[in-house]
Amino acid sequence: MSFTNLFAALDMGITPHVIIVLYMIMLLAFGIIGYLKSKTSEEDYYLAGRDQGVLVTSLTIMATMFSSAAMLGIPGLIYKDGVAFLFFTLNLPLSGAAIYILGSRIWRIGRTRGYITPADLVTDCYGGSGLLRSLIALVGFLYVIPYIVMQIKAGGYLAQRMFPDVESILFMGQEIGIFEMGTIALSILTMLYVLIGGMRSVAWTDVVQGILLLSGMLVAGTATVMAMGGPVSFFGQLSELQPEALSVPGPSGIWSPWKLMTLCMFASLSTMIQPGQWMRYYAASSPKTLKRSAIVFSTLLPCCFLFGVMLVGLGARALYPPILENGVLMPHPAVGSQAGGFDQVVVAMLQEHVPLLLGPTLGVVIVSLILVAIMAASMSTADSNLHALSAVLTRDVYDRFIRPGAGEKERAWFGRGVIVVATLLALWLVNLGEQDPNFKPIALIAQLMFVAMAFSCQLLPLALDALFLRKGTQTGAICGITSGILIVFLFTPFPQLILSDGLTASVKGLTGTLSGLFDIGFCGFIVNAAVFAIVSQFTKRPSKERTEAFARDLKISIPRASPEVFTRGK
Amino acid sequence: MPLKDIPKMTEDQEPSRNQKLKWILSGIFIFALIMGPGPGLYLVNDFAAAGGTFIGVPALYAWAVFWFAVEAGVVITAYLTIWRDKAE
Repeated sequence: MSFTNLFAALDMGITPHVIIVLYMIMLLAFGIIGYLKSKTSEEDYYLAGRDQGVLVTSLTIMATMFSSAAMLGIPGLIYKDGVAFLFFTLNLPLSGAAIYILGSRIWRIGRTRGYITPADLVTDCYGGSGLLRSLIALVGFLYVIPYIVMQIKAGGYLAQRMFPDVESILFMGQEIGIFEMGTIALSILTMLYVLIGGMRSVAWTDVVQGILLLSGMLVAGTATVMAMGGPVSFFGQLSELQPEALSVPGPSGIWSPWKLMTLCMFASLSTMIQPGQWMRYYAASSPKTLKRSAIVFSTLLPCCFLFGVMLVGLGARALYPPILENGVLMPHPAVGSQAGGFDQVVVAMLQEHVPLLLGPTLGVVIVSLILVAIMAASMSTADSNLHALSAVLTRDVYDRFIRPGAGEKERAWFGRGVIVVATLLALWLVNLGEQDPNFKPIALIAQLMFVAMAFSCQLLPLALDALFLRKGTQTGAICGITSGILIVFLFTPFPQLILSDGLTASVKGLTGTLSGLFDIGFCGFIVNAAVFAIVSQFTKRPSKERTEAFARDLKISIPRASPEVFTRGK
Repeated sequence: MPLKDIPKMTEDQEPSRNQKLKWILSGIFIFALIMGPGPGLYLVNDFAAAGGTFIGVPALYAWAVFWFAVEAGVVITAYLTIWRDKAE
């Protein structure tokens, strides 16, 4: 039975409609309350007045990090590749430690000097270069855009599965199906509450979405284990899986230990320094908040994976093993009918087993809540990324190169404009991709999740140097980050669009070998760090006074008298 | 020896002890990354592929949980000992 038919077979009644409508009303209410509590300053819109407590900080960091991938993509990979991908969880304690180790330094100097974006800090360390600022903004952009698109797509898929019987409608001559309705509803709602309430409403909604996400992950795992006869029977069935599914590099042969280790080290750190997370360090009320968030993140979140949602993927592997069709690994028909159907495993498993376990009424409520949790995972990442993109483009591009003299009000309106344009652009790309399955940029986006992290990783050498060493120079930083971006670019399918066939084959051969061995971000990081270090040896360092003042502000926080000191005094 | 008789660390000794602990914890964490998701996996991979289990749990799953516990233990120890902030 196909996935959609499975869902239709289960009489969900109006329960999902009611739960989704309540959820949407709540999100809008948060947007409005955030607006009512906000002040007019740019700092308040982007950093919620820098006074977020432990609960909000930890949950907003978690919710920002975990997109629909946490509830759909990662369990899907476990279902496809077995136990091997489970080791990806071991990146989370490192990510958690980074929240305090990197975050507390970012917080201190951010508070003292009134920074809002990552580029504010890095360029201030090396001498305020506009080129360096644009490169850092570009890294943020390359990370953020694929994530927004992916989250909007998830909204469409969820709508398709939750409301399979909804008829298409005609709007201005265009046929709008349930997929398009889902993408429009998710993106417009997310855009509205980010526009209205800024960081405050994004963080509040992240709290609710984070709680839903964590509970959803644990409930899904528990339901799977119980449905398979309890822990003893569950692990007994797992130990009978085919040898490839119980060992590395997994059935698809791509998860070698070196690749897993570099992925755990560099993908995690790059995710923790992407613009949305970086701004959350500025927004925390104190380093103590970050320290507590780090401990919650390092311990609770991996448990939700290891003892929660990952068990769903493993259970499905035992119950519905993937099948090989014409040399291509496909999900079992009970899970999905296309190669991309691996992502549907959580919903398929829950739909099949939860109502049987908990009874039709409670079962349908729990399934609906978990589906809302998946939606929450998508929205919480989309909102944070939209908000961060708005800050980056406003402060690092508009304010620096287009209208340097713009007032705070003008910048705030430009930032809101960025949110609207980015949402509409992402929505357009998603729907274009749906209409034309061969539309390359969209086909690439699904593969770009790890590539996006790899781009973000290119900020890491600069961030580590600025926060701990301060041995680099502005020219070194520019050369390093440029070479890192170019190296990661070679791993994407884009070089074939601009290089000759012979050169493309050589590049593909090299990058194919390297990406089989290591994480892509790690490859870019090594080149970036080496170029940064070498060029820094031969170029002019920032003045001693600047470096000493920067080092002092990293250690001791001195709250500013007024946000205007920074925003006007650049 | 009664508690009151244990000599207290001087201000110079405290950072030095923390510095040492910082290096030890970093070393354990890196070791856990090498042994957990890294090449240390090869130590149990053949046993895991043959359907081997630790207390009924598939070997690689148990391996992942163990090294997660080590990593989390390091972070908790750091939280309780060396993560001190001047602002606190």
